[in-house]
Amino acid sequence: MSTDQESGNELEKPPFFKSWAGMYWLVIGNLLVLIFLFYLLTSSYT
Amino acid sequence: MSTLDLIVLFGTIFFIVGYGVYKTRGNKDIESYLKGGNSMKWWTVGLSVMATQASAITFLSTPGQAFEDGMRFVQFYFGLPIAMVILSITFIPIYYRLKVYTAYEFLENRFDLKTRTLAAMLFLVQRGMGAGITIYAPSIILSTILDWNLTLTNIVIGVLVIIYTVSGGTRAVSQTQKQQMAIMMGGMVIAAFVIIDLLPETITLGNAIDVAGNMGRLNVVNFEFDLSDRYNFWSGITGGLFLALSYFGTDQSQVQRYLSGKSVAQSRLGLLMNGLLKVPMQFLILFVGVLVFVFFQFYEPPVFFNEAVTKQVSQTEYQDEWEALSQQHQATFEAKREGLHAMIEAEENNDQARLEAKKAEVNQLQKEQLEIRNEVKQLVTQAVPIAETKDTDYVFITFVIKYFPQGLIGLLLAVIFSAAMSSTASELNALGSTSTVDLYKRSIKKQGSDQHYLLASRLLTLLWGIIAIIFATFASLADNLIEFVNIIGSIFYGTILGIFLLAFYIRYVQSNAAFIAAVIGQSTVIYLFFTTDIGFLWFNFIGCGLVVGIALILQTIMGKHSPSKDQK
Repeated sequence: MSTDQESGNELEKPPFFKSWAGMYWLVIGNLLVLIFLFYLLTSSYT
Repeated sequence: MSTLDLIVLFGTIFFIVGYGVYKTRGNKDIESYLKGGNSMKWWTVGLSVMATQASAITFLSTPGQAFEDGMRFVQFYFGLPIAMVILSITFIPIYYRLKVYTAYEFLENRFDLKTRTLAAMLFLVQRGMGAGITIYAPSIILSTILDWNLTLTNIVIGVLVIIYTVSGGTRAVSQTQKQQMAIMMGGMVIAAFVIIDLLPETITLGNAIDVAGNMGRLNVVNFEFDLSDRYNFWSGITGGLFLALSYFGTDQSQVQRYLSGKSVAQSRLGLLMNGLLKVPMQFLILFVGVLVFVFFQFYEPPVFFNEAVTKQVSQTEYQDEWEALSQQHQATFEAKREGLHAMIEAEENNDQARLEAKKAEVNQLQKEQLEIRNEVKQLVTQAVPIAETKDTDYVFITFVIKYFPQGLIGLLLAVIFSAAMSSTASELNALGSTSTVDLYKRSIKKQGSDQHYLLASRLLTLLWGIIAIIFATFASLADNLIEFVNIIGSIFYGTILGIFLLAFYIRYVQSNAAFIAAVIGQSTVIYLFFTTDIGFLWFNFIGCGLVVGIALILQTIMGKHSPSKDQK
């Protein structure tokens, strides 16, 4: 199968980031921050 | 219900339906009807994806779950953001490049027609039943609580959805879902503020959080690995990922939402928006449930939340036993309330020893209250054997009806109706599209005009809507039908996911091996279902594993593979 670069439609850049990898890391980073905050909340009453 | 509540409820619903019909009138071709003319911006795609997943049961059951079990259910969604990233990288570019209308079209491109048709039919069977339940599940709760006619409630929800889904297609579904999501989230935020306001004057939000925390309701995350524990970090991050990949990647009711995006980028951003917001959204809904739990620590809750069943029991010979348990429940509640006030006082005075003592006392009384509720449920089974003893679905709606001010009751009911309508609309839209594109256009009438397929698509969407209403209307005739539909879904979902995993990630496997593996895998799952007592959720995993494993073995036996269609 072809890669993203083969289609002009798929070359559109994401907002705020230079590449899609930045957007993906934002989503994963957001999840990690949420889990950390949940951990703090849980442990404060354990 | 007051006149003001009825005006708010029906005003909101009719506005959304009218808006959907008006804004999307004049669909001229099949592409604009089924793919919304590929005109949706990322926020519309994202809201549409979120609204499709958020059914009425999300807003009825989830707060009740937090009331009963705390916030640990949020861990179930930990795998979802990762799934959104995987789908954005792999699935979306392929679907766009092939310009597909449905997910199953991709299977013909990768394998062949028979594999596509098999997957489409498996989807139609499970989702066709699911649409009926999406209508029935909130109807049964609303009709019980509000004393509405169940059949009429089913018909009202179904007909309202049919009006704008048949008329405006995918664009109407996406446009109305923006309003529906605004109502849903706005309603839940307002609900949180109202509950805080309804707490006794001496109880601050900080006190409420402390009460919830000290009574084990802020147990958000648990890193202990335990296979018997349904919700922990590990089950969420693995099982949740697996489930989200299959639901968002292969279920047409979701695939159709992001295929309506203006471009690959807009669709990706829509899915990533879901990845960013889904966990906080579920946290909010669960937190509302926790606030309801705190509220009922200071105001006496009913011993059983389903009032209709309570009335039925009171007309039986078990009434005296029920009354005795109610009195025990009340005495325990009052003792616990005193203990809670003392606990808060100790916390404010920083008196650790007294705080720990009161905490233990309160939690002991909570246990006793739970035991009384369990006895009450056993009594329900004896007095009314056909009654459902699980009353957590009734906790939030009972609280809203009893304690919310006029007008806001109508708004919260509009939240539940909006959720029911948004998920049903996506299901009907997907059922209509799959029937038209994957079966009618591909195998029955191949040479029709664009107008012909547009009409066929509308009629098939209408037909599925009618089937859903009929299914919802007769649902009460079967015992535990919701579980039955979940079982049917689990029986078919594994096979569908297995086919898609082969298609996307295992290029070694070709069409015949995939098809035979799917048929053997599906037959084996059905056989196991009838001959063993394996828990039905396992069939998702077994079905998927069988399809992938058998396909790999068959392909090896059949010999070296030729290049797949998309590699040519």
